[in-house]
Amino acid sequence: MTDSTSRSRTIMVVGGGISGITAAVEAAEAGHDVVLIEKTPTLGGRVAQMNRYFPKLCHPTCGLEINYQRIKKSKRIKLFTMSTVEAVKGGSHGYTVTVKTAPRHVKPNCTACGDCGQAATSEVANPFNYNLDKVKAAYLPHTMAFPMRYVVDPSVVGTDEGRAIAAACKVGAVDLDEQEKSFDIEVGAIVWATGWRPYPAQNLTAYRWADLPNVVTNVEMERLASPDGPTKGRIVRPSDGAVPKRVALIQCAGSRDLNHLPYCSRICCLASMKHAAYVREQIADATVDVYYIDLRAHDKLESFIHRIQRDPQVRFIKSKPSRIEPGAGDNPMVCGENTLTRDIYAEPYDLVVLATGMQPSTAEGKMPSFDGDVDDYGFIFSDGEAISAGVASGPLDVSMSVQSATAAALKAIRAVTVAR
Amino acid sequence: MTHASPTPTKKYDLNFARWVYENVDGGDRMALCMQCGTCSGSCPVGQQMDYGPRKLFMMIRAGLKEEVLKSNTLWNCVSCYNCVVRCPRKVPVTYILHDLATVAVREGYAEAKESDNSRFAKAFWWSAAKYGRTDERLVTALYYFSFGMGEGYKRGMANMPIAMGMVKTKRMHLGMPHKCKNTGELKKILAKAAEIEARSHAGGAGNANPAGGTAGHDK
Repeated sequence: MTDSTSRSRTIMVVGGGISGITAAVEAAEAGHDVVLIEKTPTLGGRVAQMNRYFPKLCHPTCGLEINYQRIKKSKRIKLFTMSTVEAVKGGSHGYTVTVKTAPRHVKPNCTACGDCGQAATSEVANPFNYNLDKVKAAYLPHTMAFPMRYVVDPSVVGTDEGRAIAAACKVGAVDLDEQEKSFDIEVGAIVWATGWRPYPAQNLTAYRWADLPNVVTNVEMERLASPDGPTKGRIVRPSDGAVPKRVALIQCAGSRDLNHLPYCSRICCLASMKHAAYVREQIADATVDVYYIDLRAHDKLESFIHRIQRDPQVRFIKSKPSRIEPGAGDNPMVCGENTLTRDIYAEPYDLVVLATGMQPSTAEGKMPSFDGDVDDYGFIFSDGEAISAGVASGPLDVSMSVQSATAAALKAIRAVTVAR
Repeated sequence: MTHASPTPTKKYDLNFARWVYENVDGGDRMALCMQCGTCSGSCPVGQQMDYGPRKLFMMIRAGLKEEVLKSNTLWNCVSCYNCVVRCPRKVPVTYILHDLATVAVREGYAEAKESDNSRFAKAFWWSAAKYGRTDERLVTALYYFSFGMGEGYKRGMANMPIAMGMVKTKRMHLGMPHKCKNTGELKKILAKAAEIEARSHAGGAGNANPAGGTAGHDK
């Protein structure tokens, strides 16, 4: 440690998912000022959208709650929600980061009483439930939102509905005149915890996710199984709300495929085992068929696969299905070759779940220029100047993301304290 | 379904897979096949094949050269390209099957030479190379009579009403076969193509013989 330069000792963390939260909390608790930037109105990211974690099937609300407490108690973390990084300038002596904040139209004195939601009449898309349902134009992002503050959708600004929403607030927290803001922050290091998105299932044309209602993705399955999801946790067919008796889980939907994501997304096999467990817990007479190329249980988690394999109502079929066709009664028909028996099959199911993989958010091309480097798929290389945490650096599960984020916090601390 | 599991009675050519990787059109990518079954599951005529593409590729790796080159899989591919589009490893399955079919003929396998599709392809190619056009009458006649005089006559007569109908509706003409404008140029092009092909296959096919050893393959 030397006194070195005039480099700012503030660390910026971009992304408020489990990795960003962890990096921010670790750096702050080690005595550094942290600026945490989150694109959506709430922290929690993809983890908040999970029903449960594998392998212990515990609820993510638990881990998030502990971290929210740590953020609340810390005087060193400055949180900016609904904010994105527009530009990064600088290099070895620190960075000037331009941050843009979209209007939430709700001030910090919001008590989350819900009166504005009652006053709202129109509905808007609900990305938290992967658009399986809609929310009122004045909404709480989800039950575990942090900050616990409502959002008023910009679509009602300047309308009678907007004025009614503002009038409904007893504490006067609704501010329809709020404008987009842009400001610069000087920081000494940036941790990119920009996370991932599910690979777009509409690209898998042979699997017909876009036009067959009972073909869903694994992230949608998480919402269907979640108590705060669109079905209040009941696993049902989207087409008719019926309880599925035959469920197919299709692995490597878009992963390990040179036409889509060439890499193994690492988490999907275990996530599907979790989905088999959800179905079998809820529906006693349901059967689950898992279609796989290879089952890949990373790290120490093979025992979780073995546990599911012991269930006689879960079958494992070694095959990458070639296509899904519409069947009678909205039952998707899964077609392909069983590579062990060499039989050609066409099996009807009540519900088909595609285990889509993880694509880095940076693949969407909205990344501001920075001095780091990304690989062919958009994952940020962690060597060199850029510091990445969690799935921004490669496909990881939650516990590995937390480890990665802790390491990233240490790298950031070193970058702002050690002279180069 | 025939069994491909190793038995002491089967002959294995341990150089066959390497030879296919290096000499067959698209064979280099076949090395990346991960046996997922997408190709066989996508195949509209898979049920009419001795083996689906996935299994055929495994047999190539196992060295079952005879079974591979005698199989009707090579001849029943209809070039729909479903497998090529869906293959997660971008293996050009169609090219590989077609090129293996020519290998089977070149190596003189009776199953290959006497298959319906091989006979038809031969007749088709003869007309295309000679006239730059395919003449239905000549192609069909050549194809039918490849089964022998009696069989050719029988098949020809059975199709006579169809032929007369086609003539009547001007879908088929009587008289000399149509030609492209300059058959001389066509012949030069084909001669050049044959020369290039001969160059690329020089000494290749022999190495696929079980007795051929690894001559020319020092990798």
